[in-house]
Amino acid sequence: MSTTLTPPDAQDATRRQQAMDEDAASARRDRRAAVIRYLGMPVFLLLVLLGLYLWVTSQELDSIEARTLTLDSLLGQTQQHITLTLYSTFFVLLLAVPLGILATRPKLRRYAPAIIGLGNAGQAIPSLGLLALLFYIFRTQPALPSTGTFPVVVSLVGYSFLPILRNTMVGLDQVDRFVLEAGRGMGMSNRKVLRSIELPLAVPVVLAGVRTALVLNVGTAALAFLFGGGGLGETIFSGFQLRRTPVLLTGAILVAVLALLVDYIAGLIEEKLTPKGL
Amino acid sequence: MSNATSPETEIASLGEETPPGQTMIELKDLTKRFPGQETPAVDRLNLEIPKGEIVVFVGPSGCGKTTSLKMINRIIEPSSGNIIMDGQDVTSIDPNQLRRRIGYVIQQIGLFPHIRVGDNVATVPNLLGWDRERTTARVDELLDVVGLPPDQYRERFPKELSGGQRQRVGVARALAADPPVLLMDEPFGAIDPITRTRLQNEFLRLQSELQKTICFVTHDIDEAIKMGDRIAILREGSRVAQFATPEEILTNPANEFVEDFVGTGATLKRLKLTRVREVEPTEALVGTVDEDRAELRRRFDESEWTAMLLLDEQRRPLQWLRGTDLRSSRPLTEVGLRARATVEEQATLSDALEEMLLGAAGVAIVVDRRGAYQGLLDVDDIITAIQTMRDATAEFYRAAKLVDPEAEAGA
Repeated sequence: MSTTLTPPDAQDATRRQQAMDEDAASARRDRRAAVIRYLGMPVFLLLVLLGLYLWVTSQELDSIEARTLTLDSLLGQTQQHITLTLYSTFFVLLLAVPLGILATRPKLRRYAPAIIGLGNAGQAIPSLGLLALLFYIFRTQPALPSTGTFPVVVSLVGYSFLPILRNTMVGLDQVDRFVLEAGRGMGMSNRKVLRSIELPLAVPVVLAGVRTALVLNVGTAALAFLFGGGGLGETIFSGFQLRRTPVLLTGAILVAVLALLVDYIAGLIEEKLTPKGL
Repeated sequence: MSNATSPETEIASLGEETPPGQTMIELKDLTKRFPGQETPAVDRLNLEIPKGEIVVFVGPSGCGKTTSLKMINRIIEPSSGNIIMDGQDVTSIDPNQLRRRIGYVIQQIGLFPHIRVGDNVATVPNLLGWDRERTTARVDELLDVVGLPPDQYRERFPKELSGGQRQRVGVARALAADPPVLLMDEPFGAIDPITRTRLQNEFLRLQSELQKTICFVTHDIDEAIKMGDRIAILREGSRVAQFATPEEILTNPANEFVEDFVGTGATLKRLKLTRVREVEPTEALVGTVDEDRAELRRRFDESEWTAMLLLDEQRRPLQWLRGTDLRSSRPLTEVGLRARATVEEQATLSDALEEMLLGAAGVAIVVDRRGAYQGLLDVDDIITAIQTMRDATAEFYRAAKLVDPEAEAGA
């Protein structure tokens, strides 16, 4: 019937059955792919750690190596490393996401290039240079602590500011303007449009930025030891200075594993928080 | 707007003041100047939109028709002028409150991709704070109305729908809080021609029940003629070239601009003005599948028809059967020609003609909403209808002591 609107019922029962079988088969394939995707990375990382452990224990360690490579100190450094990463990511989210939202509001839009420029500058300075610069500034301000977690977190925030800021702005910008117009046209307030449409639709892009920032922070936090911030950088650097390959490798591999793990977990969170239907 | 009444009662009350046929929306000297442009996009537009009618804004691109429409719900704020809705000046009330009582459908639809179809439709009820039970009931009702069974479609995401289905959801969403006024900006513009025709017919059927006041923007004169109770042909700056019924515009264009815009083939276009239900269908020789075959054959042999139309239990057309088919031993449902070229009563004669030309039989089968057989329409019926329209027009001009332009042209 050419002018009725009811979708045609599939009249053929067998065809429907076939379609259902196909659906079931593809669902099974999807599940298998999902298992590989979810478990692949953790299994790989565990194997790397196991290999590292076996290799280190098979070496004859001298007294310096034995003193550096204790489980206690490695765990402590890993924990410091994670703390630095999480703190800095938390604060950068707290600052960059609201700033990104503000910068995309119509009234402030013209400042957007300036804001992006600021973030770019933070990124263009080499991380070591930025850390040193901040370290110097903190030294000249007696009111501020010049070593420890605080200056390191501040410089990590400065360094990972851009990816989150830019992704927040891009994420909000790429929302279909007709979707926004429909929302406004039905009587949603600007705040409601932001909360129920723009932000949920920007989530995937913002989270991609967060993921990048997290991985950046894991890497940059390896420099924290220079300012008394601890972290796995200590092991790497002492291995390097003392020319002890097992120490150097252990530190480097642990940082790499941590970065991959953080990326993996961020990926899971990203998937979880991305609205269905996108 | 007083603060004592809730937005919902205001919605209910909007439109009750105005009796049908009276002006529902009045645009007074409505003007829009965009910054940095010398000439205004809309220049002192004055228009009265009667209650319960579809008024189509049509004109070449860039004439300001969309801007005019979007000023009514103040998606674009007017630079000057007034909008009077149901006797109330809405030019400076809270736009969000205003928009909740105006349905809004745009070409790009703008469904929220991250929420399910049902929640999309529930947008305005949720904004108005309806309780969940009432909202759910309303959503299901509307999905039904637009031909999407709620059980099947409520939980889907927009990306899981076809373009036509999305636009249906768009219409359902606009109707959710039962607004008395609907603004539609090229709602069927981005949809393939077959689905578009379907949606147009469906929408007209819906409107005949709902009697909303509708402003409809299109650049397609054919769509304007089909959909509009009244058409405003706009030229640059949204200046009204003619504001009249489609019949009037086709038979008596006000000026050269309208004539050019309507283009050639006014008679063919007038076929789009007459609905199938306005023409008396011819009876065909019909039989149903539950009848005895011998009985069918007897009726066929007694008649002068060369074919019999076989209907199913619900009287929906199945097959055209010829004498040889009736005499063969195979089941009736497996012989004969499939009955194609069905048109609903809501379709226009132009649609019917199209179906006839596509189908082999040269006739269109008229069916009702449920697809049940009503009668046949053939080319002769359409020629008669054209003749009648011509006569009626001629009569009109004689009565008005005017010369029929067509007769004059023919002389």
